[in-house]
Amino acid sequence: MLTAGPAKKVTIHVSENHKYHGQSAHAAILDFLFYRSVSGANVVRGIAGFGADHHMHTARIESLSADLPVRIEFVESPEKVEELLPKLQEMAGAGLLEVQDTTVVKPSEVPNKRAQPSVPALKREGKAKLMRIFIGENDKWHDKPLHKALVESMRANDIAGVTVNPGILGYGANRRIHRDTALHLSHDRPMMLSVVDTEEKLRAFFPILDSMVQQGLVVLSDIDVIKYTHDYEGEGRRKEVRS
Amino acid sequence: MKLEGKAKMLWIHFGEDDKWNDKPLYRAIVEKCRELDIAGATVFRGIEGYGASTLIHRSHLLSFSSDAPIAVSVIDSEDKVRQLIPFLDEMVDEGLIAMSEVEVIKYVHQDGARS
Repeated sequence: MLTAGPAKKVTIHVSENHKYHGQSAHAAILDFLFYRSVSGANVVRGIAGFGADHHMHTARIESLSADLPVRIEFVESPEKVEELLPKLQEMAGAGLLEVQDTTVVKPSEVPNKRAQPSVPALKREGKAKLMRIFIGENDKWHDKPLHKALVESMRANDIAGVTVNPGILGYGANRRIHRDTALHLSHDRPMMLSVVDTEEKLRAFFPILDSMVQQGLVVLSDIDVIKYTHDYEGEGRRKEVRS
Repeated sequence: MKLEGKAKMLWIHFGEDDKWNDKPLYRAIVEKCRELDIAGATVFRGIEGYGASTLIHRSHLLSFSSDAPIAVSVIDSEDKVRQLIPFLDEMVDEGLIAMSEVEVIKYVHQDGARS
């Protein structure tokens, strides 16, 4: 595990066609680093370059056999780098291998599944608003079904929750009847989205909503939130029940 | 048609098998709403439920003999909704009609013009 403080940055320059035991050298090096538990490594492909052989590597369209320069980089503790270098030297072959002193200011974090959940957007109980959006299944936003785009947009804007309810028959502002057929082949069903959050959050979302909904009806009503829990809060309890 | 500010929302609950003049009740209600120039009505089919009759309504995916619970939502100004209520009273034999207050945020036509 990489910690903040002095460290080494290793850069290996090879060409894309460079092979190591029949495999691309950059892929072989990356695998090696991965299985030696290096904290992280990147392979960067250049667009042009030349090395010791003064052979120009480019991605010019006329030469389909592009042999581009590739750089493998990683940062590790000095001890770890010391341990890996002999093998890397062998794998890099004719390529350039360099080591620089560097300082880790903040190591990258491994997402911790057990981390404390963020505070729920909505208070567990109390006054809130229920927004209902009536649109048609055929309505589009940037070539994407509007109901889907709205859900994505709400999620991105941290709205507490939204549910899409397809209707079977209806009409709205444009007087056009939306109908579902017996075989569900029709894609012009009426759609109702139920959205719950605080009035403040919903009102902040109105401008976005306004730009997305070109036809339809949006209404707001008061509700009392009785319960709003995240899944993981009940996880332990549910496991107990199962076992 | 203009709809803004405070309005009323009706939810009418009954069964899919319910009829009005040999026509599915939900269709008859939507037609009545259009006739009265109500701003909008939407019919939803539930997957399971029970109501006033305590009869379990359930939709059968594999058979076409569906008696799923149906919910119709109607939204308009209080005046308009009150015009509709006597008809609903007559049409809905068995079911539930609930009214609540809503605030209209947006009501727009196809061409984007607000009405």
